[in-house]
Amino acid sequence: MGDYIVLVISCIFINNILLMQYLGNCPFLGVSKRMETAVGMAMAVVFVLVMAGAVTWVVYHYILKPYELEYLRTLSFILVIASLVQFVEMFLKKNIPALYEGLGIYLPLITTNCAVLGVCIINIKEGYNFLQTLVSSFSYAVGFGLALVLFAAIRERILLARVPKPLQDTSIGLVTAGMLSLSFFAFKGMIH
Amino acid sequence: MIEGLLVMGLLGAVLGLGLAIAAKVFYVYVDPRIEAVEELLPGANCGGCGYPGCSANAKAIVEGKSPPSSCVAASAEVIQKIAEIVGAKIELKEPEVARPGCKYGVEKAERKYIYEGIKDCRAAVLINGGEKECPVGCLGLGTCVKSCPFGALSIGPEGLPVVDTSKCTGCGTCERVCPKGIIKLSSNSLWIIHEYTTDECTAPCQRACPAGVDIPGYIRAIREGKYEEALIIIKRSNPFPAVCSRICIHPCEYECRRNLVDEPVAINPLKRFLVDWEREKGIHVQVPRAPEREERIAIIGGGVEGLTAAYLLNRLGYRTKVYEATDRLGGLLWIGLPENRLPRDIIKWDIDGIIEAGVEVELNRVLGKDITVSSLLKEGYSAVCIATGGWDIRTYIGSGNSELPGIQFLLDFLLKNEEGRTVDIGKSVLIVEGGRSAVEAAKICRQKGAKDVYVIMRSKKEDVFIEGEEIRFRTVLTGMEGEGERLLKAEICEISDDGKRILKKEEISVDTIIIGAGRFPELVYVPKENGWKTISPYAGPNSEHLIGIFRPGEPVSDYRAAVEAIGAGRRLAATVHKYLRGIEPVALENMIRKGVKVLDVEDVRDVPPIPRQMLRSRSRDELIRNPYLEETIGFTEEQAKKEAERCLQCGLICYRKQ
Repeated sequence: MGDYIVLVISCIFINNILLMQYLGNCPFLGVSKRMETAVGMAMAVVFVLVMAGAVTWVVYHYILKPYELEYLRTLSFILVIASLVQFVEMFLKKNIPALYEGLGIYLPLITTNCAVLGVCIINIKEGYNFLQTLVSSFSYAVGFGLALVLFAAIRERILLARVPKPLQDTSIGLVTAGMLSLSFFAFKGMIH
Repeated sequence: MIEGLLVMGLLGAVLGLGLAIAAKVFYVYVDPRIEAVEELLPGANCGGCGYPGCSANAKAIVEGKSPPSSCVAASAEVIQKIAEIVGAKIELKEPEVARPGCKYGVEKAERKYIYEGIKDCRAAVLINGGEKECPVGCLGLGTCVKSCPFGALSIGPEGLPVVDTSKCTGCGTCERVCPKGIIKLSSNSLWIIHEYTTDECTAPCQRACPAGVDIPGYIRAIREGKYEEALIIIKRSNPFPAVCSRICIHPCEYECRRNLVDEPVAINPLKRFLVDWEREKGIHVQVPRAPEREERIAIIGGGVEGLTAAYLLNRLGYRTKVYEATDRLGGLLWIGLPENRLPRDIIKWDIDGIIEAGVEVELNRVLGKDITVSSLLKEGYSAVCIATGGWDIRTYIGSGNSELPGIQFLLDFLLKNEEGRTVDIGKSVLIVEGGRSAVEAAKICRQKGAKDVYVIMRSKKEDVFIEGEEIRFRTVLTGMEGEGERLLKAEICEISDDGKRILKKEEISVDTIIIGAGRFPELVYVPKENGWKTISPYAGPNSEHLIGIFRPGEPVSDYRAAVEAIGAGRRLAATVHKYLRGIEPVALENMIRKGVKVLDVEDVRDVPPIPRQMLRSRSRDELIRNPYLEETIGFTEEQAKKEAERCLQCGLICYRKQ
């Protein structure tokens, strides 16, 4: 049990996928201008990442590993994740339209997002078992959401501030992201 | 190697097949038209249609919940295409644009403190309402500019938002984000039905104008040489600029802030200059008309009030027809005003302008003889407006029988009784006001066989020295209902002592209403399931009470001067428009009325005195030779420009300083 708590904390804070591993920077800068879209994106990532983590773990351990095809990991993961998201999208549209409306446009956006793929690969590399994979995927996604929401909140504030012209928009965004990342370094060393 | 190919190929095939099956199993029918419509919509997600975004509106359009023209940002072509896709009829909408309602930027206004915080009006307003002294002053931090999805707004050199009307789509996003409600959507139609409120920037002159003309607006247009625009500004509140420029009692000039320095701005002679310019050009400037609507409206009475209502309703897009009892339009204008004060061709000029706009007219049609309210409603009119103004008693006697269903004038009723003529009053009579004579009339009604006789009075019991068991005090008539030529029901309300609240509403069935007033107020008859009912225009600024058909204050004020009748005509038009568009025709809570306190200044600083331009008089000889000649000559263009420069362009507390 203690291990899982350590795993959760390390995935959310210490190894935050956005701010410490620098994966998924595209949506991080892209959808963080408004809180509304940031929250939508975060929810979609949680949803997709947990499913992708589970499916890729199964694919790796039951298809690739027995045939010694580990080198096809990236390729097959992309294929599986892309199809999975497509499938989920169709399923939601038919059966849970409310959830589809909410996550609607964000689902296809993150089909092969590097954060998603990255977490799946990390799970394999770390040699997690199936349960650990689920917990770590979920926690990484929560960490992604946390960073995104924090960042969106800061950007909404920046919009009202007087920013020098050369620094406006993306440049001030990157500066802020860097500082936010630095602040997350403080979590390093919390757990060894 | 082979294994790799096989596994990947198999994996791909299985997943592909799975997706293909899923596509069938989880197939959801989506109307292809929704996507087609959505593609046509601008995708700005501005919310101007009332839906959260373009895709939501696309769905609503296809489902028929929202008209194709609901998108404010779409061009006429796009709307046409959308209408073709969904097969709906297009109801064109009058374009609206944002209009910033503040005249002076922060730099020029009185300030409470200096604000150095977050550059957003919504944040600034949290600190004691912002740095401006004026509660409805623009803070100029550009929240509206940032929110505009079409980039139509910018902060101008004055520190106030400036609208690029070619880009503005009228989506209303700025109106929704402005924490002070200063920037608002505007169109000619919205101007016509607008009443000044305490929560907007108004100048003392425009508040004083019974017709509600935007006086600083048209004077600014004169200063800029835009005479046509100036005339439109006047005509959307007052279609009689020529007449008013000669005989207006100009309450505006008494309120002019320049009185605190030297003399008032020559507001009325400036209007006269515009009219002279218009007449010289020989073209009637018209307020642009809103897209044609289906409803037709009849107006009884071709006087100033009736013509004003007819003109403004016409500009709002309705087809209007005026029924006039005599053989000429203009009513009281032709009587009692000497020709050298109001030349006859001036009256004709304004009336011609109104007819040219498309108002239809039928002369020599007397209400109660040639036409009745119900005959007009049967003809298919959506509303019949009564604007008989100051002549009621006369036309009433002239036509010989009751002109409005079930209505009798008290004095006339008593006279007829005295002369021994028969008056049919039915079984149930309601007498409205009339003091002691009402009690007298009630007695007569009983003698004539009326079973139920009600007498209602607005006054408090303690204030009146009349007694009678049937008298109900603090009670007013608020509505009537009937069928054909018969009156069936009257709605009476008991009101609170301040006259603002209804305490008890009651419907009584009556055959006749005898009214104590000598004048019948503006009233609208509208069709109702097998019959008709009445709607009262909302109370005007002179009205002392807000509820009831007969309101104290108005019977005197509404035809005291032409400009008062114009104001009443505009309220009549606004009431009809609101009713037909499904908005309850009541006045805004914060409407400026007589006695309402409005923020103002007591002295004016930094304004050097400049003498007022005077109208030139004709020579004595000339006037003696031709007694019908107008005594004065209007301003020259140079004089008008000079006079317009004198205007201080006041706001609530701001004005132009040197």
